[in-house]
Amino acid sequence: MTRAAALPHQGAIQALRFSARGLWRDLRAADVRALFVALMLAVAASTMIGFFLDRLDRGLTRQAGQLLGGDLVLEQGQPFSPELRRTLEGAGLTLSDQVDLVSMASLGDAFQVTSLKVVDDVYPHYGQVLVDRGAGSEAQARGPAPGEAWLAPRLALLLEAELGDRVRIGEVELTVSGLVEREPDQSAGFGNFNPRLMMHLDDLAATGLVQPGSRVEYELLAAGPPDALNGLDSLLEALRRDGVEVRDVRRDRPGLGNALDRAERYLSLAGLAAVLLAGVAVAMATRRYVDRHLDTAALLRCFGATQRQLTRLFALQLLWLALVAAALGALLGLAGQALLLGLLSAFLPLTLPAPGPLPLLLGVLTAVAVLVGFAGPTLLRLKRVSALKVLRRELDPLPPSAWLVVIVASLVFGALLWLYSGDIGLASGLLLGGWVMLGLLWGLGRGLLALVLWLVGRLPAGQGGWGQALRLGGRQLARRRDASLGQMLAFAVTFFAMAMIALVRGDLLTTWQAQLPEAMPNYFAINIQPAERESFSEVLEARADDRTSLYPMVRGRLTAIDGTPAREAVPAEARGDNALRRELNLTWQETLPEGNRLVAGRWFSAEPVRGEPVPISLEDGFAERLGLGLGDTLTFTIGGREVSGRVASLRNLDWDSFRPNFFVIFPPGTLDRFGHSYITAFYLDPGEGETLRGLVRDFPGVSLLNIDAILAQVRELVAQVTRAVELVLALVLLAGVSVLYAALTASRPVRAHEGGLLRVFGAGTRTLSRVQGAEFAILGLASGLMGVLLAELATAGLYALWFDLPPRPHPLLWLSLPLGGALLIGAIGHFLSRGLRREAPMASLGLLGET
Amino acid sequence: MVDSGERRLTILSDLALEVFPGESVAILGQSGAGKSTLLGLLAGLDTPSGGRLELFGQSLAALDEDGRAALRAGRVGFVFQNFQLLPTLTALENVLLPLELSPQRDGEARAREWLERVGLGERLDHLPKQLSGGEQQRVAIARAFVTGAELVFADEPTGNLDPTTGARIIELLFRLNREAGTTLVLVTHDHALARRCQRALRLADGRLAPLALDEVEA
Repeated sequence: MTRAAALPHQGAIQALRFSARGLWRDLRAADVRALFVALMLAVAASTMIGFFLDRLDRGLTRQAGQLLGGDLVLEQGQPFSPELRRTLEGAGLTLSDQVDLVSMASLGDAFQVTSLKVVDDVYPHYGQVLVDRGAGSEAQARGPAPGEAWLAPRLALLLEAELGDRVRIGEVELTVSGLVEREPDQSAGFGNFNPRLMMHLDDLAATGLVQPGSRVEYELLAAGPPDALNGLDSLLEALRRDGVEVRDVRRDRPGLGNALDRAERYLSLAGLAAVLLAGVAVAMATRRYVDRHLDTAALLRCFGATQRQLTRLFALQLLWLALVAAALGALLGLAGQALLLGLLSAFLPLTLPAPGPLPLLLGVLTAVAVLVGFAGPTLLRLKRVSALKVLRRELDPLPPSAWLVVIVASLVFGALLWLYSGDIGLASGLLLGGWVMLGLLWGLGRGLLALVLWLVGRLPAGQGGWGQALRLGGRQLARRRDASLGQMLAFAVTFFAMAMIALVRGDLLTTWQAQLPEAMPNYFAINIQPAERESFSEVLEARADDRTSLYPMVRGRLTAIDGTPAREAVPAEARGDNALRRELNLTWQETLPEGNRLVAGRWFSAEPVRGEPVPISLEDGFAERLGLGLGDTLTFTIGGREVSGRVASLRNLDWDSFRPNFFVIFPPGTLDRFGHSYITAFYLDPGEGETLRGLVRDFPGVSLLNIDAILAQVRELVAQVTRAVELVLALVLLAGVSVLYAALTASRPVRAHEGGLLRVFGAGTRTLSRVQGAEFAILGLASGLMGVLLAELATAGLYALWFDLPPRPHPLLWLSLPLGGALLIGAIGHFLSRGLRREAPMASLGLLGET
Repeated sequence: MVDSGERRLTILSDLALEVFPGESVAILGQSGAGKSTLLGLLAGLDTPSGGRLELFGQSLAALDEDGRAALRAGRVGFVFQNFQLLPTLTALENVLLPLELSPQRDGEARAREWLERVGLGERLDHLPKQLSGGEQQRVAIARAFVTGAELVFADEPTGNLDPTTGARIIELLFRLNREAGTTLVLVTHDHALARRCQRALRLADGRLAPLALDEVEA
């Protein structure tokens, strides 16, 4: 009696040990291995992509901090108060002061307007300055010492300065001790054309440049632990309202550019596709697992196991499986993300932070969720098994309704979607869409099966050959209608996920390549004077590929909106916006520039009528930031005079285009009277060195910027992102094959039974092989057809909603997927049933337990 | 009674049977006479639609399925016609299975010992498909006795075996039964097997009738 009484209190450790041992033994079975592989792939895919995106995200935040010069940068026209400093330091931030002003630098009789960057001992918070101090480029984590000046190479050239020379700034002389090749916090822009001179804060007072009324920008750069900024939001808000420009690493991250942004989306999508595929594989493998364990469960019932013990035993067994699969999957994921990073190495010069624990947790959670969602309802069947089954084999508990399985699985998958995307709208939308599609597929599948049956009934009756095989195979499929429908759905979803990931990849690559034609403009020319315009154009037309026209450029400050001072008219959080603090580059154009797209209003048709407000066009992002809309009147101050315009249209433009882009465009005839210069971008073949020298010689005032290096970097980025995308595609395809394998493994016993019967009735190996081949091929063909339909619908939706790409049909896929499906399923099926065909009928019939 | 949907089928009725500790009882009957149904009821695998059933002095009607399972645990062993070995487990693991429900320290040693007693000491790691029918049934017998069961039910234990092998299995079953002092309830249509029991009963038309051992035909 004691043992019986001990049963309900069976120790947890013993239960764990028993279940682990059970699982270990179970690894001999194909379905458990399929389950294991599927779970492992789900975790590997999700952690690989999770690790990668997490590290990339944190790395980009850090890089953003480097570009900004700190995690938080405050800028205003007067020194910052000690109270503010104390508050920031109290929040755990380290502070660094910087002062920016424009002044004249002189050496001998050479004078040059320079942009001074005055730094302290803390500079820079992040990154290093690349400086040549006489011994070639070296990286320095500091600025110039007191008494020294570091010059941009262009300034050194203009002043004809050499290392050791004394250059005069205001009332002091500083020793030139270095040439700055790159500042870590340099943000490239065309707003600041004056060459840089970097000096120490201690020397600033002595220059005498800081006088009441002089234009000086004070910057307070703060750096600290990632969460140091979180408590400061209300303070920052107040500062913005006071007109302080606040740059916050959490908000002002530089864009990744469309290519990497879309690649991120692609990776997330592919990760989810892999999880979905693995889920389908788990669902298929679980059916076989449960079928196989009904006997175990019945025997254990016989030996005295309670329902609770059975539930615990199988739950623990599968939990072990999930944990081991998750651990291995996570390791694979770690290796995979390292590979991804390796592929993207040249693009990511930043050292990424080490992998964090979050993706690992998510990976384990994914494994358990997939197991519970896709296997749970099926597993409950084991609990309901009767002990009497040991005496009466037919006493199997009914399998759960297919719809219950689908609903539970899709709810869990929906929850995962939500978790990964953080977007409940997207998750529930996809879930609903998924249900509708499954319903459609179910109907379509039934129709296809009926069609198959009808078709094979019309095949010419003959002995032997493929006709007979198709007839028999088709009949077998149609006869097991529910099982076949289940398989068709699983295969269709698999083909759909594989095809979709492949399609999106192809379309992304095409789009990227179209964005980067061979002859992209690789030079910018700025500061072309009106008198030089004609002759400069002539040279370009003759020698270079002039892709964009010459844009006139006038510098003006936005001073009022609808008659109210601009700083008061904009939303509080935009009061410190750069656009209000600096001069903007304004232009005039008759037609909408290439690469711009109107999103609201109308393009001005002709020169403005006198007395009517001047229509202007704004870039939509600029308008949104400053809270501007159609009909608002903007007043600009240009060289002391005012000019106003009413917003007539908003434009969307591609900042990745490597062309001159403008926030504000006027119609011709308004700005011409102000002092202006021209800007253009053009492509110059690397072999045209002579043309380039001619341009420099004939137009000494024009600044030529070569962006070949940046272009090469972008091309390299696209190449690398392509490789990363391909790696992920391979992973998804692998997950797909694992589904097919799991599903075909699950149906092996039934096929073995049918094969055995055909054998008994006198079918030879050849006939058997053909019948099975025909069955698999029909299955693959029908699933491929359903998959391609799903893929077309889903990609069209995704392109429109998520990738911002135009939808396009893929006619080739309608041929390749059904045929490829027939071949793939045929091949895997043939391989898996190879052993079956060699078995004697007794053995294959025995597989079903018939003795 | 079995409710087949259209009509009710009475399989067993007006049936009284008491089995005492240490006794061996054979229940004989034609195929389809309800022998397996009776066995299922006796072991608490199934519940009767009427009547009273006690196992180890405890009324089975008062227990739910889990309660009946708990009553069986460790105290009841089974030998089946089709062996009921799990195909993915080795001989040793199959014998260990009932022990693992109420684990004991020396479980594995006991399983080995029982496999040696049935003459399979050298085949511990073999899977069922690597064993002959007779060997598989020996594994099943070791599994039935390994928990120190007080009561063993055997359902046509020789039904799937050739006569020579069957005879050896009978020999083994009764030797172990004697040595362990177990109560044995055998369901069979094999008269040779029935004759080895202390008591034999015939099941026909849903009723049990005692059968003098010398009445059992040779």
